[in-house]
Amino acid sequence: MRPLRIALTKGRLENETVKLLEKLGYDCTAVREKGRRLILPVGDGSLEVVLAKAADVVTYVENGVCDMGVVGKDVIMEMGGTFFEVADLGFGRCRFAVAALAGTDLYEGYHTRRIASKYVNVARSYFEKKQVDVDVVKIEGSVELAPVLGLADAIVDIVETGTTLKENGLSVVEEICPVSARLIVNVAGMKMRKEEIGAFVSAVEREIASRAGK
Amino acid sequence: MVRIYDKITPEGTRDILFEETRRRRGVTDALAQLFAARGYREVVTPTLEFYDVYGKAADYLPQESMYKLTDAKGRLMVLCPDGTVPIARLAATRLAGEVMPLRVSYHKNNYRVSPELKGRSAQIEQSGIELIGASSLRADLEVLEMAARSLETCGDTWRLELCHIGIFRALMEELDAPEATREEVRLCIEQKSYAALSDLLAPYRGQAAAAGLIRLPRLFGGAEVFEEARGILSCPGALESLAYLETVFRHLEKMGLGGRVILDLGLVNQAEYYTGLIFKGYLDGVGSEVLSGGRYDGLLADFGADLPAVGFALDIAAATGEVPEGSLPAPDVVLCAPEEEDIAAALEEAQRLRGEGLVVVLSDEADPELALCYAKAVGAGRFAVVTAEEEA
Repeated sequence: MRPLRIALTKGRLENETVKLLEKLGYDCTAVREKGRRLILPVGDGSLEVVLAKAADVVTYVENGVCDMGVVGKDVIMEMGGTFFEVADLGFGRCRFAVAALAGTDLYEGYHTRRIASKYVNVARSYFEKKQVDVDVVKIEGSVELAPVLGLADAIVDIVETGTTLKENGLSVVEEICPVSARLIVNVAGMKMRKEEIGAFVSAVEREIASRAGK
Repeated sequence: MVRIYDKITPEGTRDILFEETRRRRGVTDALAQLFAARGYREVVTPTLEFYDVYGKAADYLPQESMYKLTDAKGRLMVLCPDGTVPIARLAATRLAGEVMPLRVSYHKNNYRVSPELKGRSAQIEQSGIELIGASSLRADLEVLEMAARSLETCGDTWRLELCHIGIFRALMEELDAPEATREEVRLCIEQKSYAALSDLLAPYRGQAAAAGLIRLPRLFGGAEVFEEARGILSCPGALESLAYLETVFRHLEKMGLGGRVILDLGLVNQAEYYTGLIFKGYLDGVGSEVLSGGRYDGLLADFGADLPAVGFALDIAAATGEVPEGSLPAPDVVLCAPEEEDIAAALEEAQRLRGEGLVVVLSDEADPELALCYAKAVGAGRFAVVTAEEEA
């Protein structure tokens, strides 16, 4: 049987996950010294790490080519999909928020607000739930620019410390929800390889619990 | 005018070719036989149904998941998104006078609007059955045995997974929490979000139902799940459903399906639709479920006939799996008729060989050399030139 395959979001979540895996006793030398390779064996060969962009982690897990994945809740909320979201790994913490130019009232007046975001689905569904009509504009790069340049009334984005917002004259209007890295599992894989995946998830849960206890 | 879309198919659809059609036909034929041998009679319901047929299905078939169009009178129609609802309509209306229970099978394409660029199909080929008008243990076992045999025809390594929605429903009835929280609880159980679920239920820790709900998504696996569940669940309704599920499980073990049947008490995906057993089938190497079914005793009442029903459907594309290109066998024989007068003789010879079970193609070339080239190109096993004189 092929090794369990876990897709990691490249970058900071990858580093945090590698630390977690090493804590669980997996030898991650191959990942630390990966060069340009994207599929890497870790530990005794029972686990294989795939490095991917965040959105692709969700796609790989949903389609079952990877059994598990580590990805931010922000991406899960934006993409949706069918998979099990078994654990909150506790790192990569930030939050989704609505932000507007400091000193302005976003909900004043009756014009339809224009919202700029990289997370168009999150933005749309948030305002749908609030039953507020908005035009959502997709922005790929620094979303903070949009209200400053006058393209949008507000933005929906992930906020960590709020420094970037402040430096651009924006302030948080509303918090939408907290975000952190999640461990996700393919639906069929969870059932067909219950023993292996179950053992891995339990080990991860124990480690998170002991960290939370500290 | 420049046409952009004249050489491609719409997203979510594709051409299904040669090897794959053969494999799909193999699967659907085997299933049709299996269903027919158990007394299930096939029906074909239309691809177009009135939108109103799905009017009460909004909980599990949201309107944005259906393709809609209008008929000549401007009435709203849908491309049929599922196999069961039209059969419920049929059973409650023109089949209402038939001997009950009704055993019905179908094979059709369903259409669902799926999120863009997710690699998911908009056209879903399904084979399925419904057993209508029976709610006994025998009825449930009949359908489960069929589901198991159906999976068996699709692959060697398969699992049939069971749940009883009564467990979840009983716990939720006992839980004293606001409506918004309840839906979130259901979602957390469905997605096995262990941590989120226990955070969500933390304020209700004192309630016995909350303790059960927190453990529900972890209660999956083999027979050991029953013991574990009995230790956790306390409300009588949940225990009653659990006992029924165990009875079903033991019967399936007796049928020799023991190692293949698994449990997941956290299958709550369509909690509003199903009323009893829920089951899913998986094949090794296929990332999504291949078979899906359950008991839906409330659906036919929507059409004015209060009848219990249970059934399942297989996703034929998932059941067929990946099909390698070029795995279709070449014709056994290519024949060539050099002269016009030889054509009748060649066709007769072709027919004779087909009688022996061979696949025979008559070349359209008159020149035997060109015909031979064709035979070699397609990889035919044999080549022969047929002339009328030879036959005489």
